Amino acid sequence: MTKKEKRERKKYLLISVISFAAFILIWECVTEIFGLIPPKKLPSPRTIVNVFLYKLSNTNPDGSVLTAHILTSLKESVLGFIIGVGLGVPLGICMAWFEKFDLFFKPLFDLIKPIPPVGWVPIMLMLFGLSIWSKVTVIAIASIVPAIINSYSGIKQMNPVHKWVAQTFGASDRQILFTVAIPTAGPMIFAGIEVALNASWVTLVAAELVAATQGLGYMIQTSRMVGRIDIVFMGVLVIGAFGALFTWLLGMLRRKLVKGGR
Amino acid sequence: MEGKKLNGNESVVRLENLKKSFEINGEDVQIINGINLDIKKNEFIVLFGAGQCGKTTLLKMIAGLEDITDGNIYINDKKSSGFNEDVGMVYQTTALFPWLSVMGNVEFGPKHRGAAKSERRKKAQYYIDLVGLSGFEKHFPVQLSGGMQQRVGIARAYANDPEIILMDEPFGHLDAQTRYLMEEDVEKIWAREKRTVIFVTNNIEEALYLADRIIILTECPATVMKEYVIDLPRPRSMVSEEFLRLREEISRLADARESEAG
Amino acid sequence: MKFKLSGKSIQAVVLGTLGILSFFIIWQLTCIFTKFGTIFPTPPEVAAGMIRGFIEPIGSVTLLGHIGISLGRVLVGYTLSSVLGTLVGLLMGASRLGKAILYPIFNIIKPIPGIAWIPIAIMWLGIGNATIYFIIFVGGFSQMVMNVMSGASNVDQELVGVARVLGLKKNHVFLTIILPSCVPYIFTGLQVSLSTSWMAVLAAEMITATSGCGWLILAGMQSGIMLNNVLGMIAIGFIGLVLATLMRMLERRLCSWKERN
Repeated sequence: MTKKEKRERKKYLLISVISFAAFILIWECVTEIFGLIPPKKLPSPRTIVNVFLYKLSNTNPDGSVLTAHILTSLKESVLGFIIGVGLGVPLGICMAWFEKFDLFFKPLFDLIKPIPPVGWVPIMLMLFGLSIWSKVTVIAIASIVPAIINSYSGIKQMNPVHKWVAQTFGASDRQILFTVAIPTAGPMIFAGIEVALNASWVTLVAAELVAATQGLGYMIQTSRMVGRIDIVFMGVLVIGAFGALFTWLLGMLRRKLVKGGR
Repeated sequence: MEGKKLNGNESVVRLENLKKSFEINGEDVQIINGINLDIKKNEFIVLFGAGQCGKTTLLKMIAGLEDITDGNIYINDKKSSGFNEDVGMVYQTTALFPWLSVMGNVEFGPKHRGAAKSERRKKAQYYIDLVGLSGFEKHFPVQLSGGMQQRVGIARAYANDPEIILMDEPFGHLDAQTRYLMEEDVEKIWAREKRTVIFVTNNIEEALYLADRIIILTECPATVMKEYVIDLPRPRSMVSEEFLRLREEISRLADARESEAG
Repeated sequence: MKFKLSGKSIQAVVLGTLGILSFFIIWQLTCIFTKFGTIFPTPPEVAAGMIRGFIEPIGSVTLLGHIGISLGRVLVGYTLSSVLGTLVGLLMGASRLGKAILYPIFNIIKPIPGIAWIPIAIMWLGIGNATIYFIIFVGGFSQMVMNVMSGASNVDQELVGVARVLGLKKNHVFLTIILPSCVPYIFTGLQVSLSTSWMAVLAAEMITATSGCGWLILAGMQSGIMLNNVLGMIAIGFIGLVLATLMRMLERRLCSWKERN
């Protein structure tokens, strides 16, 4: 990096910091300080921080403290995600590798794929009631779709040259699958897992809004009904923060796992 | 006017003690160290050097794509800074606009210099025919072979009517057979259309086949090492005695330089 | 060769049909032999219900009406998010200053799922179409911005140089080079955000509407008529598929320069 470039970077970083600070400041000004927007419509940043600390130890108005909501949401989404990916990746690989399997499942999969996962909430609710399993199954459906699609196309895009090389070394079909096809599909499968995790978090929120007794989605929905917009905002920001955390964690993991790139 | 007119042999491009250095990891690395060169109208100049140093940068400086660290470039006796409408360029990679058809690419220059549609179409068509791509006007670059893409690049440079055309190893990525055909065509087009051409290559046969004058550059930093005026009759035979003798001499020079450097 | 090929396609049809058929058979058998069947319709009942749904209204309008209502809502929110998302994405991708100013703020909004905005939207805009438009808008917006931004910041700088050497003026670079380079990215964004929008309309209608496919799904459950629920799912899946296919066709037309014949 040249000196000029370093200077430029510093300059733009400074602009970013100023911009962010100005955003928060203006927000605080129009709400708390000058009262241009009533607190019923938009809570000030300070109120949001305060209510965050308050909710850590207080169960009003939705019956649980914030950490309990977070844990429930995490439990549901991680469980659903693991089930979805755990089923989806092998299924996608099998569909790509065994032709008959593909012919059998592909049309059925194409039929079910376009239904948004949230659409399954009522059926799962009917089957599992308000327990966590109604959410877990919906999230599993949400994450199984990208897991299947990506591992399927990951295997399908294997460079035939690699296959021929392995064949000339006398590798069996099974060996080729495990030593050539799956490793080459690695980055693609991983991308599918990332999409799946993202989808599972989005779906979780939707499912909890509709039907739950605990969880972040439930918290914001209940707070909305009793008019506590400060808790709603705080909850939405917490949901966003966890979404960002997941993305970041998987980004780290990807850099560790996927060597040699695509 | 400080122009030196020598019986219609006026200098079109003059490099005066031209220098270029880049900052790499905070250190100045000299790429070009004081090149002086006088290029006459309609001359076919080949810059020859086996290394990776300086040749492309030199062309980019003439085209206005790189800043000049020190020294001067005169084009038609005017000091050049930045882009110049008398200069056109053919690139190492094809550098065609992928979203434009062959016609769209070739008429790009005239269009953005404000030529009327019928006029620029006629001109573009003329050069498309000249490079042998009649019938491919509506094709997109991705549909063409490497050699054809490079032909479009040549037509595009000519259609903009620059006095000086820079060619930066345009055939480096082509197979030997295509390369030979392209060399023949470039010579034919040049013989017919004239223009001053500055051609960079690291292929001795190519240099000897095309050049009026070969400028041999040293390894990093690049300076002029030696100059050969090639006055063999055109089109040249690559197996004539004189051709082979020059080839031998220049390659010995390059070898000596390499062992010196190594 | 030809015979063998047709043999293969026969196999594909047979196996594919078998796959779908076994799904329906399992569904049917579950309805017959478990208590699932007491509340859940069988495939033939769903088929009959679908035909009826086209003629008789469910709630306020027929099945076709609900589809039309959902589509109309998506159209409004999606158009808004596509236009604004493209503009903001171009601004952040093409201008370093624009990115420096907007990116930190955008980064707060980006990870929030569009659906999580539902309670806020209701408190701001009340229950009704405005809220639904808003939810669809925020869902698609971030995705649009992300895609267009990466397109605009990944423009091949060599091509910009090529154009400048050919005489393109500096203030024309944006329209002539950056914008066309972004078209494939814009399309990726349009596709991704269309499927998000479709999911958002479903969720929003489940919570705040009295019509549309999402309402069908939820009202079906609440009133105990699971048939309506299944009809809603079929409708939403089918329309989602149609929209995605249309989008791919449009992309193939407009981005033909990217494909090899």
